[in-house]
Amino acid sequence: MTPPILELSGLTKSYTAGGAAVAHVVGGVSLKVGRGETYGLVGESGSGKSTIGRLSLRLVEADAGTIRFGGIDLRALSGRELKRLRRRMQIIFQDPFSSLDPRVRIGTALAEPIRLHRLRRGAEVDQRVEELLATVGLSPAHRHRYPHEFSGGPRQRIAIARALAVEPELIVCDEAVSALDVSIQAQILNLLEDLQRDLGVSYLFISHDLGVVRHMAARIGVLYAGRLVEEGPAETIFADPRHPYTRMLLAAAPRLFAGPGAAPRTEIAGAPPSPFDLPPGCAFASRCPFAEARCRTEAPGPDSYRDAGRRAACWRSAELPPQAAEESTARMSPAFRRRLDLLHTARREALA
Amino acid sequence: MSETPPAQDADTSAPVLSIRDLTVRFGQAAPVLDGIDLDIGRGELLCVVGESGSGKSVTALAAMGLLPPAAQISATRMMLGDKAGDVDLAGLGERQLERLRGNRMAMVFQEPMTSLNPVMTIGRQIAEPLIRHHGLDAGEARTRALEMLRQVHVPAPEQRYAQYPHQLSGGLRQRVMIAMALVCRPALLIADEPTTALDVTIQSQILRLIDELRAELDTAVMFITHDLAVVSEIADRVAVIYAGRIVEEGRRAQIFEDPQHPYTLSLFASMPRLVAEDVSGGGRLAPIGGQVPAPGNMPAGCRFAPRCPFAVTRCMAEVPPLAAPAGSAGDGHRVACWRAPLEETLG
Ligand SMILES: Nc1ncnc2c1ncn2[C@@H]1O[C@H](COP(=O)(O)OP(=O)(O)OP(=O)(O)O)[C@@H](O)[C@H]1O
Ligand SMILES: Nc1ncnc2c1ncn2[C@@H]1O[C@H](COP(=O)(O)OP(=O)(O)OP(=O)(O)O)[C@@H](O)[C@H]1O
Ligand code: SF4
Ligand SMILES: [Mg+2]
Ligand SMILES: [Mg+2]
Repeated sequence: MTPPILELSGLTKSYTAGGAAVAHVVGGVSLKVGRGETYGLVGESGSGKSTIGRLSLRLVEADAGTIRFGGIDLRALSGRELKRLRRRMQIIFQDPFSSLDPRVRIGTALAEPIRLHRLRRGAEVDQRVEELLATVGLSPAHRHRYPHEFSGGPRQRIAIARALAVEPELIVCDEAVSALDVSIQAQILNLLEDLQRDLGVSYLFISHDLGVVRHMAARIGVLYAGRLVEEGPAETIFADPRHPYTRMLLAAAPRLFAGPGAAPRTEIAGAPPSPFDLPPGCAFASRCPFAEARCRTEAPGPDSYRDAGRRAACWRSAELPPQAAEESTARMSPAFRRRLDLLHTARREALA
Repeated sequence: MSETPPAQDADTSAPVLSIRDLTVRFGQAAPVLDGIDLDIGRGELLCVVGESGSGKSVTALAAMGLLPPAAQISATRMMLGDKAGDVDLAGLGERQLERLRGNRMAMVFQEPMTSLNPVMTIGRQIAEPLIRHHGLDAGEARTRALEMLRQVHVPAPEQRYAQYPHQLSGGLRQRVMIAMALVCRPALLIADEPTTALDVTIQSQILRLIDELRAELDTAVMFITHDLAVVSEIADRVAVIYAGRIVEEGRRAQIFEDPQHPYTLSLFASMPRLVAEDVSGGGRLAPIGGQVPAPGNMPAGCRFAPRCPFAVTRCMAEVPPLAAPAGSAGDGHRVACWRAPLEETLG
């Protein structure tokens, strides 16, 4: 069996902040991203999502744990070896501006990594640049332009083209579509899906938008205070969340069709614990409606609950009553549904 | 929009913000705003939605008098009406506008760092307008500022008071911005994508906060967003804007139960959650083809026509008026489309 493209085990990271204060940012995270698969990572702000993304590519160094990339132990590699391997893994951020040099034309920015890694030579480089632009739906003429000449959507396409230039096997998407409006977001998500289908790229897909993650990911990991509290197939996570935090996160998402009778959106009261001062037991205990005495003293392991490809770090997972995420379209009005159908029909006809 | 006041349970008989035929142009190109009409009543929350580049921020900045000098602005009415009386915003000079801003009207931006002063403690930034506009002394201003921080649920406000913006998380910064905007109890609050960059937890806290404060202070709110789920949660009324024109307008229920404009429908259709539940078929997202037209390249008739799957010849030539859809009871729902209601015209 071929190993997964990314396999993290027991990954741990802390930062010291002057004196003896230590921020425990990532605590023993283990997960696998299969080849050609999308793994969604969700969690509140500060839960450690971006840190895990960076640790996975060794853009920051872990304190402990292992990172296997296609079976290769990344942390055992020398700087030179790592550099060579980096070509096969890329990262895309929320703000595409930050990763593009404003003084460099798009064509040059795309050609640079191709030359650096000697993927093509001579005229083939230009050819490849055109091919990349076409892949992300831009025209060859765009190569002569500068980043500031593009608005959000096209700029994110350029960032994707640049990531693709080195023919990576894994792309970490860190809030890559979070700043885009719904239509452009849909274009970019479709593009990412096409690339996965055509090139077999795998994604570690980080986002705070549960709707987007649900659409994109086959597996989802829920992060809280630097620990994976629940992990499993996307449908299961939404249909039958087993960690109280996952349940709260789902219940806190805004509803598209609220209206009378809909379950109200509930807020997650309080705040996550400070990374400088994690409690001895379960990190979620202070906000958890199910917490019992044991939860405050003894931390549940990452797989204290296990079931059908899924695990949760909670003492009480097995006892929690069923709670499916509410289907937001259940309350769609007949008029809405009818017109949406008309729209799709008209679009299909326009294409034909 | 007609002169009839929007149907509302809040006291909206005299709108706090009333705009008619607002047109904004940069240079020679077609106007980026073309005849915008808006009313927002006391305690009312109007959501303005539309794709990137459709003119949401320009509308907000025009109302605040914050557009750059290069903008050519015209309107037949731009009134701010509050307890202190009516002001014709269009007739004001920079000095007078300055006096209204942060006082009778205030704005919250998407990226709090752009409007927070990095070298001033957040406490002073909140207290300062109280001293400037209301003549409070430093002690009183501090007390009120702390109260405001508490009201926006900033934990440990005394400690936070002395901190600088960079020492706060994104969510806290956004709350500080809201505290700054509301400390003078403005009649009008304009929030330009205040929650786009935030996770659901902080987002829901901030939405609730805005909602509480408008109920408490009777503030009229213009809330700009492209997140339709947020709209569904907080809007009293919704204005859908496309390429500088309002294409559909109505109460929240009208937009979410009876959307009429192909553009409104298209925005909904691009949402991942509709596909996740397989309403639009194929498991694939349905983005709107093409792009919002640039000001230099505006279509002659309906500005959505080049991207609209329902467009007919007339759409290319004539601008559809914003009017009550056929069969509606004239209750504030308006749509600018030659082919609405679709099920009838498609026969
Ligand atoms: N270089 C650093 N030094 C000290 N602390 C850091 C550093 N980088 C991150 N942290 C801390 O690590 C924690 C996790 O941060 P991270 O950026 O991974 O969160 P996140 O889940 O990506 O949040 P967001 O949704 O806001 O992007 C935070 O408490 C953050 O302040
Ligand atoms: N200072 C300016 N000079 C010239 N054109 C401008 C200026 N400000 C805005 N525009 C143009 O006006 C149009 C509307 O822009 P606006 O910023 O209002 O869009 P928006 O709806 O707020 O989009 P977003 O969702 O991206 O914030 C765009 O075509 C934009 O390029
Ligand atoms: S007026 Fe015509 S082009 Fe414009 S939205 Fe209606 S059908 Fe489409
Ligand atoms: Mg992050
Ligand atoms: Mg804007």
